[in-house]
This record gives sequence, structure tokens and C-alpha cells, in this order.
Amino acid sequence: MPPRSSSGSARGADAGAGVPLRFGDDLLLWASWLYYEEGMTQSDIARIIGVSRASVISYLADARTRGIVNISIETNRLRALSVARSLSEHFGLKDCLVIPSTGGERPLVESLGAAGAQALRALFRSGDTIGVGWGRSVLAAAKALSTEALQDIRVVQVTGSTSAHVPYTPAACATAMAAAIGAECIPLSAPAIVSTPELRDLLCRESPVREQLACLAELNRIVLGIASMRPSSTLHASGLLKDGPMFRDAYAGAVGEIAGHFVDARGLPVSGPLEARMIGITLEDLARVPQRIAIAGGVDKVPAILAALRGGHANVLVTDAATGAGILHAEGLSVPQVRPGQETVAGLPVRTRVKKFLNAPDEAVDEALEGAVADYAGFLRPVRGSNRALVALDGPRPGKVGVVIGGGAGHDPCFLGYVGRGMADAVAIGNVFASPPPGPILDATRAADGGAGVLHLFGNYSGDVMNFEMAAEMADSGGIAVRTLVTTDDVASAGERQARRGVAGNVLVFKAAGAAADRMLPLVEVAALARKANDRSYTIGVALEPCSLPETQRPLFAIGAGEMEVGVGIHGEPGVARQALENADDTADLVVDRILTAMDPKQGDEVALLLNSLGATPLMELHIIGRRVRQRLKARGVVVARSWAGHYCTSLDMVGMSVTMMHLDAELKGLLDHPCHTPAFRVAPVATG
Amino acid sequence: MERIANAGNGGLVAELAAVIVENKAWLSEIDGKIGDGDHGVNMAKGFGRTAERLEGGESLAEALSVLSDVLMSEIGGSMGPLYGMMFSGMAEAIEGAEEIDAEDFGAMLQAGLDEVRDIGSAEPGDKTLLDAYVPAVDAYGKALAAGSGMSAALEAMCAAAEAGRDATIDMVAKVGRAARLGERSRGVQDAGATSCALILCALAKGTASRLSDA
Repeated sequence: MPPRSSSGSARGADAGAGVPLRFGDDLLLWASWLYYEEGMTQSDIARIIGVSRASVISYLADARTRGIVNISIETNRLRALSVARSLSEHFGLKDCLVIPSTGGERPLVESLGAAGAQALRALFRSGDTIGVGWGRSVLAAAKALSTEALQDIRVVQVTGSTSAHVPYTPAACATAMAAAIGAECIPLSAPAIVSTPELRDLLCRESPVREQLACLAELNRIVLGIASMRPSSTLHASGLLKDGPMFRDAYAGAVGEIAGHFVDARGLPVSGPLEARMIGITLEDLARVPQRIAIAGGVDKVPAILAALRGGHANVLVTDAATGAGILHAEGLSVPQVRPGQETVAGLPVRTRVKKFLNAPDEAVDEALEGAVADYAGFLRPVRGSNRALVALDGPRPGKVGVVIGGGAGHDPCFLGYVGRGMADAVAIGNVFASPPPGPILDATRAADGGAGVLHLFGNYSGDVMNFEMAAEMADSGGIAVRTLVTTDDVASAGERQARRGVAGNVLVFKAAGAAADRMLPLVEVAALARKANDRSYTIGVALEPCSLPETQRPLFAIGAGEMEVGVGIHGEPGVARQALENADDTADLVVDRILTAMDPKQGDEVALLLNSLGATPLMELHIIGRRVRQRLKARGVVVARSWAGHYCTSLDMVGMSVTMMHLDAELKGLLDHPCHTPAFRVAPVATG
Repeated sequence: MERIANAGNGGLVAELAAVIVENKAWLSEIDGKIGDGDHGVNMAKGFGRTAERLEGGESLAEALSVLSDVLMSEIGGSMGPLYGMMFSGMAEAIEGAEEIDAEDFGAMLQAGLDEVRDIGSAEPGDKTLLDAYVPAVDAYGKALAAGSGMSAALEAMCAAAEAGRDATIDMVAKVGRAARLGERSRGVQDAGATSCALILCALAKGTASRLSDA
């Protein structure tokens, strides 16, 4: 019987994909881009956008009549792009956004503000501490910016206050920026320039000012304007630089101002009478901020911006094409010629047959078990001659509650890697991704029983639930008291705790339950602690490539080249949402956001962190993810008290990772610290004496 | 009246097994879209092992029992217990019977369904094997009530199972692993309903080919 072709399944996951950010919500632009820039066919575009081919044809026609597809605009855009690339390359910028110079129907400061807002929206991250300078472009960017997607952000005013009646004072810029992104605003409650150095020192020792200044050392981003020294510039209007022969002479060598400091043409600081009287970020502190975003434009500012770039005071620049070209020209570089053309990137061949170390695919599980039982002979042995039920050598003992875990194969080191003293007493192993039948579970239960009852611990999947339930009934009628706890840590899988899947959080729940049993607590208490450990565990997985079964050696499903699967389980099931591929930090943010929302920790709370590879993702990438997770937790005031990174609960060869957090209290922390000795998880006893 | 003998008709289960083994790849492929892609592999393992164990002289009830035992004790997963209980219910319903007539067959179908509903938690409409099974049992009963003969009722049963299977395409999964996908499970037919339709149609075909009318 052949499979019926169904029109319903043909659209599949692609149709739901959102418009990539660079196109906003503009379908016309997106369609035009795919057609003219990426050279795709109308049918491919229809599939990607999720509309009919007829709609694509009408989009393209519309785009031509409305001038979206237009050679002159294209040239302008390309020119801006090539200026941006040259500026980045020459000054070693981390990023550069150059807007086309439009010729003036909209004031430059407004265009820069809009472009700045666009850049900031892409650069800001939850958990940031962001310094904000002053100036018209900075204020325009703050006003054009609006996002509710960020959490736990602090905005810090980096220059003291000025008294001038201009709208773009340091205080106004910081306030507007904080309001735009829903951040906490930390002002700088002191004048930018005070009368004497002594007064400055006194003020800086006052506790509000001292605390505010301390925040400047914690900035991970800063947004700055750049002022020119020309007489009509904003610098003079701002009240920061008092006119007068003495000042003019002292700062004659300066070409610009950045964050309250005057710099010469090479970007070096120019000293005068003001430095010792200034309150705000120092150039040393500024240099320590990892991302320094300058928003500035206008031909009059070319020398000032150039100085800021030469001095390395900014490493991200938002400007306009005319200013950018002026900077390149002043630096003795030619403005690059526009060369429209396509850079083609050769795609990787699609994996159709995945290479594996196998003999007979049908025997893969049994052969692997044969090897594992020998590898871990110091920890475990078969219960009754079959490797499908294994018992710890140093685990079950009279009066101790037995802990039995189990599940399908393909999750190594889950589950057999956790059999040993202080964790699981016995394990039952099924076929790849399939629960073991009741027989091995019953064998494991009998082997683990020390007369104090047995706890069954396994992930929440209908197959496991049915088979463990049958085994529990059989054990019960054989006189063994069995309690059951299904793990439900996968936050992505369902809103309600009891409907969630059990994934990598398994490991920490096994650890807590095993410790409770090793302390000889009664069954009711071991079960209650296991429940508590589970109730306080939260996991989210993200996959980049699917896994492949030994029997088929083909990817189980497809994840597009530019996509990732969020909320993925450990059986190769597709995740909860397919979305555009993000970098490590953004992916970590996505995961942390969801976990923190579910966990709702208070300031000062502790968590245990488990960074888990789903199979093929290397430790290097787990550490990169973990780095960002820690930054976010720090910003939330949550302490990572214990952490692990590695392969803990996998899905064969899936490329992906999961992050688990257990919301700790003293009791759970004690259970995690309890010594254990298993093939895949060890906690050494604390040395005494 | 149309009927089949119980004794010596264990071969029907071997035919059933052959159909499942033949469709192994297709079942896994469907399962991979919203499940974990192992449905065909596990089903083929269970049914294939059963076929190896049948010696040839079994009654239909005995062969169904062997199938049930293998599924229950060696396969695991969710399909092991679900189909294991289903075939155990069927075997029990016809155990000791010399012949199986239209009414007995209906009782056998119903007994299998009762067991599945007892062990599983799904309802019709949840995008599971029930969505093939429930309409099939209904259609069989209605055909008989309308005066059709057994072979016509078997055809109606198979047709209803396949229609039920196709109807799962537009359903959103409510139980099992696919349930975690919510709306994303729509548009793909359910693997369990697909294997269930295969089983019921093979059962219908094998029974119809063995009917004697005396």
C-alpha cells in the first residue's frame, strides 16, 4: 500500500517561518531580494514565504511598479555597503552600519537616529549593562528605538549632568534610552564639570555618586555621540565646553569630544584645565567596555569621527555614506567602486546516508550493551544474564530504597551510565528510543530491592509510563512496594508541569533521588525528594541537525540550512518551533528567557546548571553557550552554585544542546553534593580531618 | 452463514506480519515527521519475530496469543503494550471457539478495542490508532445490521479504517509524543492510525479469503 500523497503536508514547516529581520515585515522586499539577489525561482520563493506562486509573481510585479526594484536605489545601497565594509576593514570595527545619503528630504540626524535604533535593536541583549553618552544622534536613536523583548537591562548615564537648556543632555539621553527598552536607569547625580578638582573628589566620594560611578566599570556596551570642536557645534551649545580664550588655547589641538574627553587628530587625549574637574567615565574605563557604539554623521564631523576611530574609542559605527566616504578620503583611502555582482556560496551536499560505526544495524543496541557492560564492569553487572537489565555492584543493600531508572537506548550515557553507588541501583534498557518492556524493568526492580521498596524513575513518555506501570504491578504482587516518579523537566514541551517531557533534567533528578536513598531515607521520603528535584528542574533543548537511527542511517527529519529547532526532545522528535538560526549568545538568550520565565527565581537564588550535548555538539560550543547563560544569570542576580558540561542525555548523533537549571535550596544542594560513583557521574566525598 | 475455522488458521497472523514488515520503511517515515521515526522498525521487529515463531499449525487464537506475547514482552515502547493488549483481547475473545462467524468476529474486534482503550488514555479525535480502529468497528457493525454479509462487512471495515487513518491528517495530536508539537502535528497522518489500518485491512482480507459458507 503506497503512501497517499497529501497536499496538507506539503507546505510543512517552511510556511510558518517568519520574515527574516532584515526585511522587517516587507514581503515585497523579501520576495524581490530572493528573486533578484539570491537568484531563486518563483516556486522556491513561494515555498519559503509560504504563499502561492501566483502571489509571488504579483509581489514581484508590484515591487517593480513601486520602485522597490530600481537600479539607482540599488547602487546607492551597494555604495553604502561598500563604504561600511571598507571602514570596518580599515579601522578593525566589529560592525559598521552606513545608511545611504539621501539628499535631504529628511534631516540627517533623524535618519541616523532611525539607523542607530535599528543597530541598537540588533546589538542589545537581555542582561546588558549599557552606558549612554549624549548628543543629538544618541537622543534621536533612543527616541526611534522601542522594544519589549529585552529583560534585566541597566542603562547607565556616563557623563555628569549639564545645565544647558538643550534637549539632548546626558541625563535626557540616558532616560530616553532606558524608557525605550524598559531598562532600569542609573543616573549620574553630579555635574559634568565642577568648579575645582577638590570638589570633584569630594562629590565622587559621596555614596550615590560613588555607587553610580562604580556601575561604569560593569558596562558591556556603550552608546556614544561624537562632537566636533567647531564653534557652532553641539558641544558649545551643551554647556560642556565654556567659550573663552583660556579653554580655546588649552584645547586648540583637539578635533573632537567623545564621552566628555577631548581628543586630537590621532585620537589621543588632549589635557587641559577641565580633566581634573570632570565627573564621568574615564577613557580607561571606556576602553574596557567590550562594545563601544558611536552614532554620528555629517561632513563637519569627519575629523572628530576619524579621531575617535583612530584612537579606538569606538568599535561599532553608525554613520551615513557621505560622512563614511569623507572619513575614508581623509584617511587617504579611495572610496570603493560599486561592483554589483553575486557572491555565490557553494552549498554543502545534503547528507542522505549518515556514516556510522555499525555491523548489523538491528544488533546495534545489543552490541553496544555488550561493550558497555564490559567497559563498566567495575560498576555494574547484568541481572539475569541479559544486558537489558543491569544492577550496580555497590548499590542495593538491605534496608535501602532501590532506585530503578530506565528508558530507550540512544541517550547514552542515559541511562546505564548513572548506575552505581549514590545514584541508580538498577536500570532497564529498551530498543533505540523505545521504552523497555515490563520484563527487564521487573528484573531490575527485583535486583534493586533491599526490602525497603523501590522507586521507579523515568521520563514522561507514554510507552515508558505503560511499561513501567505494568512492571510495578507485577513487582507489587510479588511483595515489592514500588513508587513511581516520571521526570517532566522539558519546559518547551508543555505549559503544565505534569504534561512535560523528561529530558536532560533526568540526570539531576536521578542524582538527588540516589543521594536520598543512599542516606537510607524511607521510600516515601526518597520519592518526595525526587519529586521536589523534578519540580524544580527546567530544561530547553535546541537542535541544529537531526539525528539518524542505526536502522535507517538517514536523517530523521530535515532542518534547513538557515534554521534551528527550538524545544527539541531527546528522541529526534521535531521541536516545538522552527526558527531562523541564531548565534550562540542569541540562542542562549532564547533558552534562558524561557527557563527564567518558568522558574521565576529571586535575586540571590542558586541554581545548578547542566549544559548537555545532544550527541554531536562539541564541548567547545557548550562552553560558549554556558558563558552567555552565566552572564544572563549574573544580570538577574542568580548564582550558579554547581555546574556540569558534557554528554549527559543525548539523542544519538543529533547536533544540538540543552540547558538544564535546577532551582536549588539547601536540601537539593546537599543531595547534589552527596558522593556518588557511577560511570558517567561522580561526586567525590569531601575530605575530612 | 459465512464463517472461518479457528483451528489451522494461524497463517492469517503470518500474513498480517508480512504486511507490517513490508511497510516498515513507510511507517518509520510517517513517524519521523512528528514522532521519533521508529514506528516501522519496532513494529517490524515485533511482527517479524512472531512470524519466525509460528510453526504453522496454530489456530487463529493461538497465533494471536503468540503475537501478543512478543509485542508485550519484547518490544516495549508504546506500541508494544498497546498492540500487545489489543491482540491479547482478540485472542481471548475467540479462544476455544471452533468457528468464527460474523458476530464472533465483531466481538473479537470489540474486545481488541476495549483493551486498547483500557491501557491507553486516548479518545477518538486525538490523532491515534483509535481514529482508524473506532470507525472500523462501527462500520463493520453497521454493515451487518444493514443486512450485509460478512465479506461485505469486512470490506466496509477496511474502507472505514483507511478513511479514519486519512482523517488523522487534519487532526492535532492530543496524546503521545506528537502531542508536544501542538498545531505542528496537523498536516501529517498518524503513524499509529496508519499501522492500525494496515492491520485491520490485512485481517479483513485474510479472513475474507478463508470464508466458507455452509
